[in-house]
Amino acid sequence: MRVLLVDDEVDLASALAERLDLRGIQADWVTTAHAALDKADAVDYDLAILDVKMPKIGGLELRERLHERHPRMKFIFVTGYGSEMDFNKVKCKAGETCYMVKPVAIEDLLKRMKELIGDIGGDQ
Amino acid sequence: MTTTTDLTGWTGLQFFGRTTASVSHELKNALAIIKENAGLLNDYLLMAEKGTPLKPERLKIVADRIDQQTRRADTLIKHLNRFGHSIDEPLTTVDLNEIVSLLAALTQREVSMKQATLQLAMGESPMTVKTAPFWLLTFLGHCMTFSLKVLGPEKVLHLQAEKVEDGTRILFSPLSGLQGAGQEDFPGEAEMALLKSLDAACHIDPDAGTLLVNLTNR
Repeated sequence: MRVLLVDDEVDLASALAERLDLRGIQADWVTTAHAALDKADAVDYDLAILDVKMPKIGGLELRERLHERHPRMKFIFVTGYGSEMDFNKVKCKAGETCYMVKPVAIEDLLKRMKELIGDIGGDQ
Repeated sequence: MTTTTDLTGWTGLQFFGRTTASVSHELKNALAIIKENAGLLNDYLLMAEKGTPLKPERLKIVADRIDQQTRRADTLIKHLNRFGHSIDEPLTTVDLNEIVSLLAALTQREVSMKQATLQLAMGESPMTVKTAPFWLLTFLGHCMTFSLKVLGPEKVLHLQAEKVEDGTRILFSPLSGLQGAGQEDFPGEAEMALLKSLDAACHIDPDAGTLLVNLTNR
């Protein structure tokens, strides 16, 4: 399984990627939507974990673009938003149910990944 | 029908809400980074218990990240606290440089989401003015949002507080987008009500690419 992390917070994306790597899940990270599109064209990812709010192109729009080019790719959104109302906005706009509110516990993230992908491999 | 007072109050409340939401979002990010990196330290320890040697240079990188994000969160809370206290006194003497610095801090996320850079130029210090700090911040917050909309392609916003003959002023520049369409809605009804309550004036010069806020001592 291969995962792409997209978050404009470098120290969050890099730490989470390393934690997934330590669990045997190959994870790459980028900090912009444009870099994510380039990366996804070069590497076959099973799943993208997207920050909702990013400069220029946010996670919701990025999801649409990635889905167009890579229809089999699954998505998990992470958001700093805390309210139920904001979560509903995320759900509606993306047509996704897989969202998580920051800060995310890695055990919960792995559980979501299993729900979406099934066998995620690695040694979690 | 809305009275001027109602409109000012509503505009202030909106700005308060928008600002606290934005700063709390930043705080969430800082906490998320702290949590992830603390988790990473824990992962290293678990690996060490299973026989993988600890790498001090990795530990230092992760510890430094936690330290930086703790400082970031502390700074955010300080700014939020100062903003909260700006409503304490309806009218008080403030240092305009401090107001402009606080504005820059509170709108940092808005600026970065627009991929813009903010450059602050401080005037002589202290640059005192008697004003209503919360309402001034609210008005300047609206000026900031407007300025970011009409910013030039270089995306650098210059913000300056300075003394002038008849008081003090705050300058937003260079706003090259002022010559395009869409700038006619500023200052709108809400901003005009704020200007009235602040006894201030706002001047937009499309040719010079500037937005000036003139304050007189009250």
